[in-house]
Amino acid sequence: MSEKDLDVTTGGKNVAGETPATEPASVTEETTVHEDAELERTIGLVGGLAIGIGTMIGAGIFVFPGLAAGNAGPAATISFAIGGVIALLVALPASELATAMPRSGGGYYFISRSMGTAYGAIVGLGLWMGLVFASAFYLVGLGHYATAVLDEVGIELAVSPVIPLGLAFAVALTALSIAGTENTTKIQNAVVVLLLVILTAFLSYGSLDALGVFGRESTPETFFPEGFLPVVQTAALVFTSYLGFAQVATVAGDIKRPSRNLPLAMVGSVIIVTIFYVVTIFVATSAFGAGQLEDFGETAMVEVARDFVGLPGAVAILFAGLLATFSSANASILSASRTVYALSRDALIPQKASEINLKYGTPHIALVAAGGPIFVLVATGQVELLAEVASFLHLIMYGLICVALIVLRRRQPSWYEPTYHMPGYPVLPALGALASFGLIAFMQPSSIVVGIVVMAVSYGWYRYYAGDVELKGDF
Amino acid sequence: MTDRPTILVPVRVLEGEGVPEGTPELLANAHVVVLGYHVLPEQTAPGQARMQFEERANERLSKFRSMFEAAGATVESDLVFTQDKQQTFDRKIREHDSLAVLVPNATAPPENVLVAIRGTVGVDRIARVVAGLFADTDVGVTLYHLVGESATDEDAEILLDSVADRLVELGMRETAIDIRIERKQQPRDAIVEAATEYDAVVMGESSTSLVTFVFGMAADDVAEQFLGPVIVVQREKEDEEPEFGNT
Repeated sequence: MSEKDLDVTTGGKNVAGETPATEPASVTEETTVHEDAELERTIGLVGGLAIGIGTMIGAGIFVFPGLAAGNAGPAATISFAIGGVIALLVALPASELATAMPRSGGGYYFISRSMGTAYGAIVGLGLWMGLVFASAFYLVGLGHYATAVLDEVGIELAVSPVIPLGLAFAVALTALSIAGTENTTKIQNAVVVLLLVILTAFLSYGSLDALGVFGRESTPETFFPEGFLPVVQTAALVFTSYLGFAQVATVAGDIKRPSRNLPLAMVGSVIIVTIFYVVTIFVATSAFGAGQLEDFGETAMVEVARDFVGLPGAVAILFAGLLATFSSANASILSASRTVYALSRDALIPQKASEINLKYGTPHIALVAAGGPIFVLVATGQVELLAEVASFLHLIMYGLICVALIVLRRRQPSWYEPTYHMPGYPVLPALGALASFGLIAFMQPSSIVVGIVVMAVSYGWYRYYAGDVELKGDF
Repeated sequence: MTDRPTILVPVRVLEGEGVPEGTPELLANAHVVVLGYHVLPEQTAPGQARMQFEERANERLSKFRSMFEAAGATVESDLVFTQDKQQTFDRKIREHDSLAVLVPNATAPPENVLVAIRGTVGVDRIARVVAGLFADTDVGVTLYHLVGESATDEDAEILLDSVADRLVELGMRETAIDIRIERKQQPRDAIVEAATEYDAVVMGESSTSLVTFVFGMAADDVAEQFLGPVIVVQREKEDEEPEFGNT
């Protein structure tokens, strides 16, 4: 069993006089060792992959195809490929950092320990909000799928039930994570496997059909109906489909054999979902014209499935869509709560925030700190804005993860001993940083403004509340 | 004095569960590893619980430690926050090289202990635990075997006699050892039934996972129906690679 010492010392006090919790003495394959207590690591490789894939697959396949095809035409496949490449460029340095610092909080933890409290606060509070925006986005998607189910069974309502359903799911999910003590991991793993099976069957059939195997005419169309700019803009929009791999790092403190499982889970989940996304868009755009897909909106894939295999296909995809968006929202709420814990552990927000209630053993304040703002955001119903702000806040973190890797590799502090070394240093991490920050430029101005406001408020909070807290490791 | 067998005593440290009455006396001659554990749901990071509960848990653990020390045992203790207690038990058994795990239940100060012998496999470890715990005491030990359909009573006697010899070798008084052979259909019911006359049970873990045995089905059958302490002797782990399941 390898044992690793962590020599990061934290210090300082926040406004309330709280100090960051002590760092662990060492990390082993199965535990995080503190002076007087051990923390068991219980999530294996499959669990890690399920978190990554389960968080990501909901958005890219079940919400975005219609919107993306509407914006960029069949070239939306390239948009998804661009997103996948950027995600991979970040997953590699994130893996290296995670094997050196396998602690809860993921990207926030890496950046605060390598670049200091100010960057850490912006990224950490931004990550919390980013996950809140992402959850709200998934929940609106879930609302669309639930509505499509109602349509399918012939229930017609005077007002669109999308938002009310999304809100109901937001409340239900928050309540479930506070009071639910059932083993949700096993369910989540099973859901991910089931989704992958349904999608593989559907996409295999769809691809063969699109290639003309079944002798049907596919819809001919220009590949770049709108030119190349919308392709990049669409990449910025759909990047929300690639946020899940960082959630694996958020629970890095619970991952068994972190030096092996963290890189495999992060890089593996990015590669798997990228393939699924690209094939999905290819199949969708070969079944219908881009304009028509856009008209179908968030639930376009249901119509694609109906076109291929009739009602059973539509029902299967509806069902899969419900599962996928639900599991994405669930995973994101839990990650947001983990982030709140990591922030309060470091005294960047009141330590009360990660308090556990005695009845259920769950962090009710942290969960409400996630669920509350999600509820407000779902009420806006702005799918594209929610998605882009979530991506914006994550992309800031991703860019800084790449920068943090470069900083650590250059300075080589004694405590930085990753067991996985990413290839292509310094070119790949530099490219990852440029691509992450660069993609932001292609977002809508309103998303950029909201993102900057969140960052500014985070910085202001840091200066007010935790200006004296020291989180940076010794260099 | 015989070697002190290392015995793991898991205690749910924060949920009011203490060290049941009689347990320190039962393990007076053991090297006791008190494993204070706290199980968390998946929504909660173990570190989160540590921030809040570490101090209180360690206070209670040190109380438990002194209870065992007062009875005469040598003691160490660990505190673990976990989402999977089976994994934690497995790891701790391995780390401390424990001969046995105690399923804690209240008991009177022990006078008679039932030792269930299934077969020749693992008998030596059982003997080391029994002799280690009871060689220098007034506790009487009854070796118990259920005869299978194809075996004869003579086979059983030979088996139990050999165990008794081993116990004497390890320092037990011959007069403290009894032998009991039964022939019944349902082994677990039979053990539970026999156990009611005793203060504690020593038995080997079943052939599959130890934990299903300690706290799964068989524990329900034996430990819970019996309502007394059960000392589950661990199989030899031959430098098994620690299992990192893919779950």
